[in-house]
Amino acid sequence: MSGWVCAAQPSLFMIHKGEGGTQHTVQRIEIHKLQDGDNLILGFSIGGGIDQDSNQNPFSEDKTDKGIYVTRVSKGGPAEVAGLRMGDKIMQVNGWDMTMVTHDQARKKLTKKNEDVVRLLVTRRSLEDVVRQSMMQHPHTN
Amino acid sequence: MEEYDVPSAASILASVKEQEARFERLTRALEEERRNVSLQLDRGSLPSDRLAGGTTGMSNQPLAWQQMVMQEQSPSNQTSLAMMQEPQEVVEETVTIEEDPGTPTSHVSVVTSDDGTTRRTETKDHLTNMKVTKMVKTVTTRTVRQVPLGPDGLPLPEGSSPLGSYTDSIDRRYMKNGDRFITPQANSTLTRSYNNYADSYSDTPDTQFRHYALHEGYGDVTENYGSLSRGVNYRPYRPYMAAGGYRPENSYTLPIRKEDYGHVAQPQVPMGSSTVDLNRSQPERFQPEPYGLEDDRRSLGPDEEEPFDLEPDYSTANRRTLPGRTIREPLRNGPRVRGYEDPIEAELIDERHPYIHGMYPAPLALPERGSLASLDRMGGRRSPSIDSIRKDPRWRDPDLPEVIAMLGHPIDPVKSNAAAYLQHLCYENDKIKKEVRQLKGIPVLAGLLDHPKSEVHRKACGALRNISFGKDHDNKVAIKNCDGIPALVRLMRKTNDMEVRELITGTLWNLSSFEPLKMVIINHGLQTMTNEVIIPHSGWEHEPNEDSKPRDAEWTTVFKNTSGCLRNVSSDGAEARRRLRECEGLVDALLHALQSAVGKKDMDNKSVENCVCIMRNLSYHVHKEVPGAEKFQDPSALQGPGSAGTQRKKKDDAGCFGGKKAKEEWFNQGRKNGEHDKNYDTLDLPKRTEPTKGFELLYQPEVVRLYLSLLTESQNYNTLEAAAGALQNLSAGHWTWSNYIRATVRKEKGLPILVELLRSDSDKVVRAVAIALRNLSIDRRNKDLIGSYAMRDLVSNLPSGQQRPAKNLEEDTVVAILNTIHEIITESSENARSLMTAQAIDKLVAINRTSQSARETKAASHVLQTVWSYKELRNALTKDGWNKTHFQPIATGTPKGSKSCKPGYDDTTLPLMEKNQGSRGCGSGDMIPMDEFGPDGYSTIDQRDSNLKYKSSDGSADLQEREPLKNDTNRKHYIRSNRPAVSLVDACDVKPQPVDSWV
Repeated sequence: MSGWVCAAQPSLFMIHKGEGGTQHTVQRIEIHKLQDGDNLILGFSIGGGIDQDSNQNPFSEDKTDKGIYVTRVSKGGPAEVAGLRMGDKIMQVNGWDMTMVTHDQARKKLTKKNEDVVRLLVTRRSLEDVVRQSMMQHPHTN
Repeated sequence: MEEYDVPSAASILASVKEQEARFERLTRALEEERRNVSLQLDRGSLPSDRLAGGTTGMSNQPLAWQQMVMQEQSPSNQTSLAMMQEPQEVVEETVTIEEDPGTPTSHVSVVTSDDGTTRRTETKDHLTNMKVTKMVKTVTTRTVRQVPLGPDGLPLPEGSSPLGSYTDSIDRRYMKNGDRFITPQANSTLTRSYNNYADSYSDTPDTQFRHYALHEGYGDVTENYGSLSRGVNYRPYRPYMAAGGYRPENSYTLPIRKEDYGHVAQPQVPMGSSTVDLNRSQPERFQPEPYGLEDDRRSLGPDEEEPFDLEPDYSTANRRTLPGRTIREPLRNGPRVRGYEDPIEAELIDERHPYIHGMYPAPLALPERGSLASLDRMGGRRSPSIDSIRKDPRWRDPDLPEVIAMLGHPIDPVKSNAAAYLQHLCYENDKIKKEVRQLKGIPVLAGLLDHPKSEVHRKACGALRNISFGKDHDNKVAIKNCDGIPALVRLMRKTNDMEVRELITGTLWNLSSFEPLKMVIINHGLQTMTNEVIIPHSGWEHEPNEDSKPRDAEWTTVFKNTSGCLRNVSSDGAEARRRLRECEGLVDALLHALQSAVGKKDMDNKSVENCVCIMRNLSYHVHKEVPGAEKFQDPSALQGPGSAGTQRKKKDDAGCFGGKKAKEEWFNQGRKNGEHDKNYDTLDLPKRTEPTKGFELLYQPEVVRLYLSLLTESQNYNTLEAAAGALQNLSAGHWTWSNYIRATVRKEKGLPILVELLRSDSDKVVRAVAIALRNLSIDRRNKDLIGSYAMRDLVSNLPSGQQRPAKNLEEDTVVAILNTIHEIITESSENARSLMTAQAIDKLVAINRTSQSARETKAASHVLQTVWSYKELRNALTKDGWNKTHFQPIATGTPKGSKSCKPGYDDTTLPLMEKNQGSRGCGSGDMIPMDEFGPDGYSTIDQRDSNLKYKSSDGSADLQEREPLKNDTNRKHYIRSNRPAVSLVDACDVKPQPVDSWV
């Protein structure tokens, strides 16, 4: 743990990886949770999961993708500070695979009380894609 | 404290002068008194000369003060007299001192020895030495007066509060005063004691202390106490005698008559400063650090998982800092062992104010306590800054026999202080505990549990709690042998003091970790613990008031301790389980508490863990042990469901529930008839006309949701393991209820939750989940689902040959997984194929050939044989390069290394359910209760828990290496595409979930 000195420093490195014809970048993002009342918060919301209807996911390119996506990022929150963006697909949380988990399992992994720091491995489509898409569709809400 | 130690020279001088003036006045008064007294003594023709003869400077002072008090207060004022109680007792002690036959030498020695106790006074004594001489007689007189209080040598009536007793004695004394003097009898007592001891001890420096002891009622045990340092012995009786004691007296009166005594006290500060080093050592001596701090609670140290409990207040770290704090408030912790608790400390600080303003050093504040707290000094001497005192040969700690003997002292504060000191000594010191046991201290402590005074039974309980903690079971047995367990339970019923209840339940928790005591605790305490703690703290109500909403559970320490105790005793076999199940309200309350935990999403604490573990244990063998279980037995079980498979025909033996038929169809139908499943899932559950209660709640399908919630939300490995274990227990066996449970787990979408936990870092969680999955796969549909979706995770937990996977699971776990795989592929070539495609054959063959564990080898061999038995798979296997020899058992003669196979241990995982009932004995798929599992089984021994805690906190750091992303994704996609027909979650069960969650 102590080796992770840098906080809110996105993009420790980037890997380019082809996937489905669109260019994705893989990023590691480290978010330091923020004490909010009794809770530690990350400041973003997630959607998706294998138990969810992936067709409703506005961010995924492939509508059968049941992965976990970042649906909202709160202004000025830890996630935003760390560089997380709406539409990022979360591949790992602290090393745990997030591509084939239920929504609740993902939430649980992100909200472990005994962990102050969450390290995410996310894939992100090019910024323009995300923006374009999120402007074309209403962000999904419950 | 420091500021008191270094007063300015000017203030010293001023105070000395004031003191002298004061003494002059006193002297006059004393002269007057002396005349009266001598007159009286003459009348009584008692050998008062002797008594009057020797007075030490030290004793004068208290007397002088006392005298002053008396003069300044109206004799008819009882209140003020009560204040003076202590001084008068001092007088008594003074008499003893006087026993030295008037030789200057003896006077000197007396003074010296007193110094040990009352250094501050010493200076004063010197200053006023001449006056002291004058006062001697007066002093004597007083002494004589007091004697009547205790002709039997027990000046303070036992059983009354210190204050009360003092008042009482003073009242009496007052009356005597009215009568103008003592009875001859009293005098003779005094004289006699003098005679007895003066000759033998008079030339030792300790003499006077022995005499004190004698006068104070130690006469019959003089030899025991002779070796006590006076600090210990007389401290309670003559607080003022020491410089410190002196002050307490003042401070005692101070709050009431501040204007009178404030200036009196003042001079003392300078005095103390005039003998600087003495002064300094004193505070140290008074540091109470020893007990208050090391309080019992620590005794549970290892078993308290503070992090989980979120009770930072009680964390070890906090407590360790206490010594520093004690220095601030020396005396006060003594009487109140819990000095470290903030509320009390605050209160103490408040109390200290008067004394601070009253002008003397804080260390001696709280006179009413200090006067009683003989042990405070002992404690003080154990404090870190003791050195200066240690160097003083006149001081020493009381030895253990002395402390234990003091437990029997007639005066309650001495008892409680002795117990508190024992508690301190025993803290994590097995040697001392053993000595206390050998010195027969435990029965005395247990006897004190019934003492009416809360101070006494509290301290005794604290000592027992520390003694009962640890691996030395002899201590626990000793507590049991002196009927300590019923005494603890009695006290629990009697007291409403939460702190005492914490101590009691903590002690019981400690005791409950020793197998032979479990039934004893159940016999004496089960219903009481349930009624007094579990039910009220769980929030459950027998007949809920419809107006009020259900109460939540309170995770109090008492609840935690009690649930921990019940958790331990619940592992004591069938009889213990039966008793707990039938204990009225217990199961109901535990379930309510757990539901409340789930509702509040507060599931990681120790209390929840304890409750789940109790539930798990009580769920063990429900299908055999609960009353009327035979009515629910599934006749098909006898034929072995695993072997019958989908083809088997079952007799329709009309059960109690209409669901019987549905269940049968359930087993018979092919897995593709999803629609039917849905129907039967719903219809299968029995209808009830009245609410279930008691042990029946254990196996109602409703509990499935509870356990699944825990499995989803809890971060506590022990809780996870226990919840999985409960499902494992409930899904074992063949009776109606286990069929419902298995179906309900699927219906509630429990399978993915369980499969997810196969990736847990915790060995035992993986094991419990694996066994649960095996039991669940008795249900044919579950078997298909598990075979499709869990195989990869199961296989990934297997070692590759001799190379263990990152998790390095224990042999037991590997065997459990192998057995689960075996169960899943039995009767299902489809699942066997999944196993192949999960790349398991490599691993299985490797285990079969190279594992150092005979049990692993055997289990792997079973799996391989089963795989080979599917002829339709052989083609594919051969293509992959395998041949028959790979699937045959390895020659048994091969040495398998040192790992021995525990007899009966294989039964825990190897055999498949109860189709092996005849030969295997008890249902193999069941959770094995602690007693059968041995020391490292499911028992809740404290150390184990704390180890786990550390493990769990470390675990997260390693996760990255363990969970390679690629494998996971690939695998999942592969599986999904491979088996599109079956969804891990029954489609009919899917409910809308939040699509968006803030984190």
